[in-house]
Amino acid sequence: MKFDPKILRKTVLDMAYAGSSVHIGCAFSIIEILSVLYKNHLHYPENNPLSKQRDYFLLSKGHGVMAQYACMKELGWLSDEDIKNYFSNGSDLKGLSDSRIDGIEVTSGSLGHGFSVGVGIAMGIKIRKTKQKTYVLVGDGEINEGPIWEGALFAAHHKLSNFMVIVDENGFQAMGKTQDVIELGSIQSKFESFGFYAITVDGHNSIAIDKAIEKLWNSDNKKPKVLIAKTVKGKGVSFMENDNSWHYSRLNQESYQKAISLISASSI
Amino acid sequence: MRQALSDVLVNLGKSDSNVLLLTGDHGYALFDSFRKECPGQYINVGIAEQNMVGVAAGLARLGFRPIVYGLSAFIPIRVLEQIKLDVAHDSLPVIFIGDGAGFVYSHLGTSHQCTEDIACSRVIPNLSVYSPADRFELTKCMITAYQENSSVYLRIGKADCGDIHQSPPNIKAGELIKVRSAKKVKYSFIATGSMVVTAIDVADALSSDIDVWSVPFIKPIDHLMIEKICQNSEAIVVFEEHSKYGGLGSLIAEISSEFSPVKILKISVNDCFSQKCGTYKYLLQEHGLDFPAVYKNVHNFLQGR
Repeated sequence: MKFDPKILRKTVLDMAYAGSSVHIGCAFSIIEILSVLYKNHLHYPENNPLSKQRDYFLLSKGHGVMAQYACMKELGWLSDEDIKNYFSNGSDLKGLSDSRIDGIEVTSGSLGHGFSVGVGIAMGIKIRKTKQKTYVLVGDGEINEGPIWEGALFAAHHKLSNFMVIVDENGFQAMGKTQDVIELGSIQSKFESFGFYAITVDGHNSIAIDKAIEKLWNSDNKKPKVLIAKTVKGKGVSFMENDNSWHYSRLNQESYQKAISLISASSI
Repeated sequence: MRQALSDVLVNLGKSDSNVLLLTGDHGYALFDSFRKECPGQYINVGIAEQNMVGVAAGLARLGFRPIVYGLSAFIPIRVLEQIKLDVAHDSLPVIFIGDGAGFVYSHLGTSHQCTEDIACSRVIPNLSVYSPADRFELTKCMITAYQENSSVYLRIGKADCGDIHQSPPNIKAGELIKVRSAKKVKYSFIATGSMVVTAIDVADALSSDIDVWSVPFIKPIDHLMIEKICQNSEAIVVFEEHSKYGGLGSLIAEISSEFSPVKILKISVNDCFSQKCGTYKYLLQEHGLDFPAVYKNVHNFLQGR
């Protein structure tokens, strides 16, 4: 099965091990979200990441980019070599999103950028009167950033019903739990008060995510949408789950093999 | 200059429906004609400059030609990272207009004054930087920016200094324009924006052996022209309503020191914020950029040689 979460997680581990890279936990929390989006929702005519008729997916939380690379490998946009040579000298794939890679729409890592660019794309699509859709995935820590809320006001004011935000609510940001760093309260009610149509869902339940996205698109056609996905940072590997050190930690041979075997044995 | 800006915006908007004008709730009355002539192409994004630049980037990705208007204190200063990452990184065709550069908002204080924008913008790869001196240069810069189809920051300073030229300058992008010719060149003055008039006035008062050049295109700039000017001059004076760090003076010194060293005096803003409130003329005096102060400074520099 294409975009099987187990395969995606293994690809992330392969990359992280090959490149001795960080941000594994950030990628693991969004695996099911990306799996559902790429499998059922994102439309790329002729599998062309640059098609002018494509839907737009902007990974605003660039720290999760390994999950996107894993999906791009499934699509054939990246090769086994790209995965194997991750972080090698002269390679293209960086540790944070770079828009010069076909299939990646925005340069991120500095947070709060992709949201506004996505709003601009959605606005442009509305002016062009096509049926394309724009998805922006942000982290819960990322929504500390001011431009997120500037963009939310704009999206609601201009009734960008073709715009969907997905919040990866894994409860952690770089230095600790979101509730300890900057309390977010109810993300759903915050977006609702900004004029969004919102649904909160289990971010690791693919069927629930899929249904929620469908429901959002079939909802009030004058509002932008937001899907709040309750997720677990490091999901899929028990010793990484809810352990924020896996924002920074690198794999060694032992932890890599242990993580691979845990994923193979897991039921998700 | 403001009428010229309005006219060129209307012309661009009418000739290309992909041109969209974005403002961060600035430009009262300036856009009346544009809003009337191109009603579907005007977006007031609200007081949210960071979002405005991201939105412009998204629109440009779809093939639109956004023109983003704000005060130079905000565009590019407040949103420098958005310009760098969202726009210039991919050379997206967005024109940023930073109005009121220098001490135009003399009565309003530091938040609305801007003497660091050239320095900040010209270090961003892929971002061109223009700084017109009069309505003819402004129109030339705007049309060039549109034709370049890439990322441009256009700086507009004091807009009512009068005309430098009698007609649109017939030059290529990057070229300097000679606005005063010496009989036999001994010194060269190089100026941009509001200070071109001052440079000409000082040259007229000093001597006949001074060439004066206007620089509407700060980046990219014709290096060979500057090398030749440096070679042909015993000394250079650079004039700008901008910090002495990182602006046109620094640029000329960078090129000169590498290819054709010559003594350079920078008439520019010292490393300080304005202290007092007053008219534009008053603030120029505070910063030593009024005619008598500049004349004395340049006179002493050339005498001392």
